[in-house]
This record gives sequence, C-alpha cells and structure tokens, in this order.
Amino acid sequence: MTSKDTILEALRANSPAPLERGPLGFTPMTFEDPLAEFRERVVKAAAARCFLLEEGRAASDAVAAIVRRTYPDAKRIASSLPEAAACATFNPDELKDPRSLAGTDIAIVRGAFGVAENGAVWIPRTFRHKALLFIPEALVILLDRTQIVCTMHEAYSREDFDTYDFGSFIAGPSKTADIEQALVIGAHGPRDVSVILL
Amino acid sequence: MSTHSKAAEAFIADSERTAWHNRALWFVREKRDRMARSIPEWEALRDAAAHTKMHTITHLAYYLEMFERNAVANGIHVHWAKDAQEHNETVYRILSEHGARHLIKSKSMLSEECGLTPYLEERGIEAVESDLGERIMQLMHRPPSHIVLPAIHVKREEVGELFERELGTEHGNSDPTYLTHAARKHLREKFLHADAAMTGVNFAVASSGAFTVCTNEGNADMGTSFPKLHIAIMGLEKVIPDYDALALYTRLLARSATGQHSTTYTTHYKRPVEGQEIHVIIVDNGRSRILANPAHLNMLRCLRCGSCMNTCPVYRRSGGYSYSYFIPGPLGINLGMLASPKLYSGNVSACSLCMSCSNVCPVKIDLGEQIYLWRQQLDSLGLANPVKKGIVKVLNTALRNPGMFHFCVRAGRLGEKIAPRGLLYCGANAWGRDRELPKFTSRTFEQIWKEELSSTAAGSPETVPEDSSTNI
Ligand code: SF4
Repeated sequence: MTSKDTILEALRANSPAPLERGPLGFTPMTFEDPLAEFRERVVKAAAARCFLLEEGRAASDAVAAIVRRTYPDAKRIASSLPEAAACATFNPDELKDPRSLAGTDIAIVRGAFGVAENGAVWIPRTFRHKALLFIPEALVILLDRTQIVCTMHEAYSREDFDTYDFGSFIAGPSKTADIEQALVIGAHGPRDVSVILL
Repeated sequence: MSTHSKAAEAFIADSERTAWHNRALWFVREKRDRMARSIPEWEALRDAAAHTKMHTITHLAYYLEMFERNAVANGIHVHWAKDAQEHNETVYRILSEHGARHLIKSKSMLSEECGLTPYLEERGIEAVESDLGERIMQLMHRPPSHIVLPAIHVKREEVGELFERELGTEHGNSDPTYLTHAARKHLREKFLHADAAMTGVNFAVASSGAFTVCTNEGNADMGTSFPKLHIAIMGLEKVIPDYDALALYTRLLARSATGQHSTTYTTHYKRPVEGQEIHVIIVDNGRSRILANPAHLNMLRCLRCGSCMNTCPVYRRSGGYSYSYFIPGPLGINLGMLASPKLYSGNVSACSLCMSCSNVCPVKIDLGEQIYLWRQQLDSLGLANPVKKGIVKVLNTALRNPGMFHFCVRAGRLGEKIAPRGLLYCGANAWGRDRELPKFTSRTFEQIWKEELSSTAAGSPETVPEDSSTNI
C-alpha cells in the first residue's frame, strides 16, 4: 500500500461524523467610500505611498513624474507596461535569468485590484519573472482606481480571481520586527512601495 | 517540580529580562486586540472560521484528494509522507534528483517537527533559514522560542554580538535597522545562489489546487524566485475547501498573529512558472491519530498564529525554552501531550487555567480546557506527580472526616503560633518559598456560619444573594 493510501485510509477510519459546511453567518463589513479607505490603509496599515494620478494628463508622463519625484536616485527601472514607457530603462521580460534582475532600483507592475480592509493589492503574474516583485529596491504598483473591493471575501469571490498561475497580495514594503519587536522596513524585499491609482 | 518549573527557574532568575519578555509579548497581544475591535464581525468571523475548519476536518480525505487532483492538473507534483522519517527522505530524494546542495528555507514548524535541517546537514546539504528570526536562531545554534517570533527572547545587543562574529558588522552596533539590513545583504547572496527553495504552506486550497504562503519579510518569495526547484511541505490539516474559506483565514491570521491587517505578502502558488518545478509534500506524522481523539480533535484546526502564546501569562513569564516540547505555550502543551504524554507531561502544569488562550484563538480552539483534561488524565496515564498525589490522599482523608478536619484546623492554628519560622518555611513547603503564608482569621468560616445562622432568620430565601449561582 502506498503512503497515500495508508494516510487516506486512516483518515477515513478515524473521521468523526461529517459536519455540514453551513452558511457564513454574518455580513462582512463594507465602507461607504472604499477608495478613500483603501488609500488610507495603504499608507497607515501597509506603510506604503499612495498617489492619485492627475486626470487629463497622459498616464505615461504622469507616472514618470511621480517616479522621478519620489525616487530621484533610481537608475535601473524595470517595466514593460505602456504607462511606464516614459521612465522605464529596461524591459525585464527580455532577461532570461531572474538573477539578472539583481541591482534593479524600481520595478513598475500592474495590480488587478486593491483591498480596502488591509491596503493590499492583488498582483497576479503578468510578467516573466516573479522575482520582479521582490528583488527591486522599490516597487511601484499601477492600479485602476475603480478596482477596489472592501474585504477579502469580495476579493476571492471576483469571477476572474482563479485565473493566475502565481500571484501575491502585497501590502506595502517588506518588513520585520524580529529584533526586539522593533519594526524595520526592508527585510528582504522592496524597501519602499508606491501605489499609483490610475 | 515539573520539568517546566525547573527549566523556568533559569529564565526567571533574571527578573528584568522576564519583565521585558512579558512586555514584548503583551505588546503584540494588545495590537491583536486593537485589530479585533476594528472589525465589527470579528466574533462571527471566528465562529465561521472554527466551523469551516471543523467541516474540513470531518472531510479530510475528501479535500486532500481534491487538492491533489487539482494541484496535479496544475502541474504540481504531490507526495505523501506517513511520518517525519518519510518526509525527510522524500525531501532528500527530490533534492538529490535535482543535484541540489544549497537549500534556502522559509519558516516552517513542520520542518522543525521532522528535524529536517539536521537530517539534511548530515547528508551534506546546506539548509539556510531565511526568516530573520529563524536565521538569528540558526546562527546561535538554538531552536526558535516562539512559532511566529522565533527570536523574541533575544536582546538586540546579543544579535549585535552575533552578527559582528558571523557577518562582520560593526562592533557595538545593535541598532535593529542596521542589523536587519546587514542580514538582508547576507541573505541576498544565499537567495541568489540557492539551487532549491523550501516553504511551508499556510493554506492549501482544495478547489483550486493552489496554496498560499504568508510572510512579512518576503523571504519565502525571494527564496522561490530564483532556483528551479520549490518544495512546499504541509501538515495534512492545512487543506481548506475553497477561496470562501481562504477569505476567513486571511482575515484572521495576521490580525491574530502580529496585530496587522494582513501580512505584507500573501502569496499564491498555483502553477509552476518559467521551467520551475513545485513539489508539495503532504505529511501525516500523527495527525490522523488525533482525528480519532474526540477530546483533542480541535487541535487540528490550528492556524499556527501564535496568539495563544502571546497572551499566556505563563509563557510570557517563562519563555519558550521552559517547555520540553519544541512548540511552547498552550498550543505546545497540547500538541506535546498528543505526541507523547510520557515525554511531555511536564508541561501541563504550565497553565493557570485563566483560559485567555481559548479566548483569543482565531479558530476558537479550547486550549485551556484541553490542558485541564490532560491534567485529569495524568494519574490514569501513570504520570501523576507522587508528592501531589500524596497530598491529595491526605487531604481526601482529612476533609472526609470532620473529627480529623477540626483537629487539623486546631493544629494549624497552634502551629502558626508556636512553630519556628524555619520549620514552616522549610524545603517541603514549596508554596512558601516565594510567598508568606496567610494568617488564620480569629474565627473559622464554620464558626461564623453557625453564629450568623443562629442570630438571623436562618436560611430564608431572601438572604441568598440573587446572583449566587454565578459565584465561584
Ligand atoms: S491554537 Fe489557536 S491561537 Fe494558538 S497558534 Fe493555533 S490558531 Fe493560533
């Protein structure tokens, strides 16, 4: 008998009487103005920056202006997005080995939607190397401002949610408090995160 | 004395450190409370989370098979391991097949449970912990003392000295930001040169064949970003039905664990990308046995959030190393007893039965109640403390026999007056070691009761306070 069979047999033999799933039993919280709540939590809960793109200006120029103003020293800027065309210095999808992304100052990527209750943005992989989200010094996330959900319940019930191969809810810069509970930004991933709402 | 109290003696000998440890953990507990209060449906959320876990636990074979089927369809390799040994062998076999020598790990309690790192090191494989707290403990050659905050008992100066020795940081610099960034640099090299990555699994979503890994540091994400091979290990209780269930747990986990609305990274792995291979190992190691134990079955709901430790007054003041099982606190007391009462019964006394753990647990595990049950079983397991057993026997005889009881009370009063302090506080009186015995009152309760009874309308219902039923 394989280990799988042994385990499954033991589980079946030992299982208590089946318990039905039951209804959720509550109505998840909602926000009057999810966008405002999201913006606040991106800054306060996730410790990231949040920008609303000026309307009526070419997205690519406006994004470049924010990126240059926020990260004046950045030299290597990775992105394949059209909105980042005016500031990106290379296309990360052209690199074969993700290790070549080492030394990237900024990556500009697209988020699918934001979650108001925790300030996280869902970023399914739409680029070649997932390292792009984790290795740069700063991560800039472009997000359509109409794509905000209130809670994780809403997030996971979006119809297209399960279409990713790899994805992450990212709430701000990488952080740790492993030394004496003192919060330090920039553990292993980006030290700085900006969410730009288009 | 229990193994716990003996080991705790060393920890509490430094009272300043004890107080500091207590404060650090209480701070986390308070953050958790603020989070709980900010969610109006918090308690209903806990109920739903507990119920959904119960539902899953009573359908484990069904959901595990569903997970496997979907994961395989997604291109993930799924392995099953009956016990720690088979788990370790499987990891080693996969690594060998890929010629991997350098493994970068993110935190996994299952890996500790199976003793994976020493097993691999004996076979010439370098296994590097990438969570900062875990890395600190690995460099110190000590186990973690908390499941979420592995180095919570270590002071910054100690980390400073360690990093100076191991990573060449500046002498005398113990600034947490400086030290964290030194570790960032050191581990980045490890990330880029590893030929295999290992992560735990927070939740395995059966309906989709995907699994999630939650971290704040992004170490699991960095780890799996470069090597071709990713091995994810999971206790079989980590499976959940679907995304509706995942919503409950992602809402509760970080809020309960560290008092954050969410972890920085809640990463979902569903299909291997860019020529990578993902292997998931589903491990039993005693879990299917717990399923047959109705009194302790609830332990299988655990999310490993650590909040039962943060709130526990005994854990906070005695530290993780006072427990003989590798997981400390209320969770570890229970899991230790399930693993082996003989080896780990010395922990069950590390509980004041305040039930704070049961009150904060996001999946409402009755941790304190189960510890109480274990204590009651000690005698039948042949593990009761003989001294305590003797005391209970004597008390039992004295309390059943009014004549002897009154004699003892009189002897006690006399003893209080005439016995020398040295005798009253001798070694046999463990209770009196750090405390003063209370003074006998001038009248016993029995005398008061009798006198009051004869002077008032004895026993009339009006004299009974209305809420007497709630008194203890
Ligand atoms: S028993 Fe409950 S509180 Fe303790 S770690 Fe598990 S889920 Fe968290």
